[in-house]
Amino acid sequence: MEYVPESVIAYPIHTRSLPNGLRVVVSPDHSVPAVAVNLWYDVGSRNERPGERGWAHLFEHLMFSGSEHVASGEHLNALQAVGGIVNATTWFDRTNYFETLPVGALELALWMEADRLATLPDHLTEAAVDTQREVVKEEKRQRYDNVPYGDAMEHLVELAFGPEHPYGHTTIGSMADLDGATVAGAASFFRTHYRPDNAVLTLVGDITPKEAFKKAERAFGKVPGGAARTFGALNSSRPSSPANPSVPPLAGTPTRKLSGRVPAAATYFAWRLPPRDTPAFDACDLALAALGAGQTSRLHQRLVREQQVAAGAGASALPLIAGNSLGLVQVRSLPGDGGAAAAAAALAEVERLAETGPTQAELDRAKIQFEREWLTQLSRFDARADTISAFAVLHGDPERINRRLDEVRSINLDDVARACATYLQPAQRAQLDYSQEADHAEG
Amino acid sequence: MRKADQRPPVKAAPLWHFPEPAKLWLDNGFEVLANHRPGQYVASIAIVLDAPLSEEPAEIEGVATITQRCLDEGTRTHPGAGFAEALEDIGAILGGSAGYSASELSCDVPVSRLPQALRLLAEAVREPELRPDDIQRHQTLRLAEIENTLANSTQRAQLAFRAACVPGRFRSARMAGGQAATVSQVTVDDVAAFHRRYYRPDGTTLIVSGDLTKAVFREAEAVFGDWDVPAPNTVRHQSPVSRRPHCWLIDRPGAVQADVRLGTFGIDRGDPRWADVQVATYALGGAFLSRLNRELREELGYTYGAHLVNTPMRDGGLISVQGSFRTEVVADAVSRARDLLNVANRPFTSTEVADAVAYANGVSPLRYSTAQGVTDRIATLVADGVNPDFVNTNALALTRVTPESATQAITELLPPDQLSLVVVGDAAQLAEPLRDAGWTMSVKP
Repeated sequence: MEYVPESVIAYPIHTRSLPNGLRVVVSPDHSVPAVAVNLWYDVGSRNERPGERGWAHLFEHLMFSGSEHVASGEHLNALQAVGGIVNATTWFDRTNYFETLPVGALELALWMEADRLATLPDHLTEAAVDTQREVVKEEKRQRYDNVPYGDAMEHLVELAFGPEHPYGHTTIGSMADLDGATVAGAASFFRTHYRPDNAVLTLVGDITPKEAFKKAERAFGKVPGGAARTFGALNSSRPSSPANPSVPPLAGTPTRKLSGRVPAAATYFAWRLPPRDTPAFDACDLALAALGAGQTSRLHQRLVREQQVAAGAGASALPLIAGNSLGLVQVRSLPGDGGAAAAAAALAEVERLAETGPTQAELDRAKIQFEREWLTQLSRFDARADTISAFAVLHGDPERINRRLDEVRSINLDDVARACATYLQPAQRAQLDYSQEADHAEG
Repeated sequence: MRKADQRPPVKAAPLWHFPEPAKLWLDNGFEVLANHRPGQYVASIAIVLDAPLSEEPAEIEGVATITQRCLDEGTRTHPGAGFAEALEDIGAILGGSAGYSASELSCDVPVSRLPQALRLLAEAVREPELRPDDIQRHQTLRLAEIENTLANSTQRAQLAFRAACVPGRFRSARMAGGQAATVSQVTVDDVAAFHRRYYRPDGTTLIVSGDLTKAVFREAEAVFGDWDVPAPNTVRHQSPVSRRPHCWLIDRPGAVQADVRLGTFGIDRGDPRWADVQVATYALGGAFLSRLNRELREELGYTYGAHLVNTPMRDGGLISVQGSFRTEVVADAVSRARDLLNVANRPFTSTEVADAVAYANGVSPLRYSTAQGVTDRIATLVADGVNPDFVNTNALALTRVTPESATQAITELLPPDQLSLVVVGDAAQLAEPLRDAGWTMSVKP
């Protein structure tokens, strides 16, 4: 008996659109008696207007503060109490809500999701907004403000895109804008973005497509919405969606220098890349992997292993949909070192990559590593459901998850060399430097 | 038929059974545990070595970590960077660490290349080069890592709480990777000696999970079966005991928030109260509307999350309230947390117990649905000397917990006047309110 080759791996995808515009995807898998429910709303921090930084995420919290038939906190608590793992997250391009449960609890989960989608704006209270505002501020302090280098992404997206650009700020937002959130603002945000025709529901697990569609229709069929949507039609018709603001690579190397209580100096580079899941983006992604993913990568080999000027160095691509993605390099110096040597060495590697691209061996390695990461992502019901929702919302094509490996395999050495020369030139970067505060740099 | 606005009933799930591993002992004492999971196309492998950190000589604590980190820096068959290339060329990724009770090397790889991955892992544990320059570099990197750890408020709190609960004569009172003073003493010979003594087939377990074939045992035997057993070695595991309570305020000037740990030395999975404590932990600080999170987050907005966390070790454990709070509310939050732990005043209800059991047993199928989930769980149990059948016996034990037994266990383990407290934050602003709230803290830099 042989081990399963990657070429035969495919996941079943069944789709249906409800008359109110909700698109439903079902992928049966009977290996475990559980089912993953995943709802993607096509709204994220890029939909926030000036003065609203952090609202998409704050309002995600309010989705747990109660609706017509569900008390505050009950959505999470009641589903946990039947064996569910429940959460939600906000990102640049989306807000997702998900629960993975024993199959016997599926209907309750769908009913609760539908209840808050249909009725939430009418049940918002000032007390809930005030409490969750404090909770989110604590989240900001805990995850970003009180952590060394915790504000790096905030600075990098602002440097790379400019503060006015939809991607120019992070999802956690600003304290001042969080202070400005009101019940009326939240209700209006929900009515604009939380609609059946702006969402995809994905179900993965121990259920047949017939049962799944029936249960989804029963729970969500009555939620008022817009017109039916087909999967192929993207969100260009949505009034709240900003125009696709594709911006060219940076020029002039925008740079910011920060001094603070950090354990070592650090340098970050950022680039504007093409939008996610395009051949040009995939080529950049593979190039950045050769540059800085794993122990064999150029940055690790040169900076950490050979020159020994860095404690760690890596590169990655942050996939985004609206016009551009972001490319990143990060280099952490050794404590007490000023950081200049590490930054210069990293820049030299970027330059070398931009000139000639990776070698065939590096590209093959990057592809085979992508393969494992992709298969790992699809190995768990909840992550598989989330990936399906992503491809349904962002590309109108959930079945594309079964073609993704072929897409990446088909990128060749010329594609990657061209992408490096076009998008990853040293002169096209933004740069962020952290140095140690004087009283902190000793030892 | 149910009306659309009526809450749907939930069909209770039958108790799920964790499929236990198939086992093979090789003649040299090496154990193989195989978990076939159809549809899991990325195999997950772990090698668990019986090398507790208490075996490290005191003056070179950290030697186990440096040894573990040098394993993939080259082998006799694949010298230098050639080893990492061979491994990454088959789509594999390595992980692992030197933990308090065992050293572990782990690897994820697409199942189609599992045999190659096993061969490379065998090289790494059996014949690593352990070259002086690699050892010295990892020593430098570990020293840098210590600076990072100490600069991180959460990790700082975690370490200090460990030291507050476990007496210093036990290894688990200190960082697993060693302190700056001991790491800098580690020599090339120390690493070679540690490897010779503790990397051996007897007492070592290989765990493999994924969409396997029957050939997996043969493949494991082919690369580990001829690993010779060195001279006999007695490995001793420590059994730490509780330290008397300590209250420490660790100064982090200018911090915008404080990390809090409030609790005591706890129990391990072998304690008869283990299931009771799991249930109680969920009700007090595991569920979203647990007593702690409901009050401190959902009612007061003091924190992003307040949890009770129960961390078993091989012997004993740590149990603590964990959370980060803005400076102004820390003293009130800590006092409220202490009051909430006092369950003698407010025993657990049967609903709280039922919810906790349904949660723990309901999430199991998902938690163990992936190759990684299965391997990680079994590796943790093996490292702590627990048989993998614990997953099923524990699920059953949970169903027997009563409100009385859960209340009793917490009353015994977390007496409100015997708790250790660690606060990492801006001491200039925190010392007075904590003192006013009745906490006598020693301030530490």
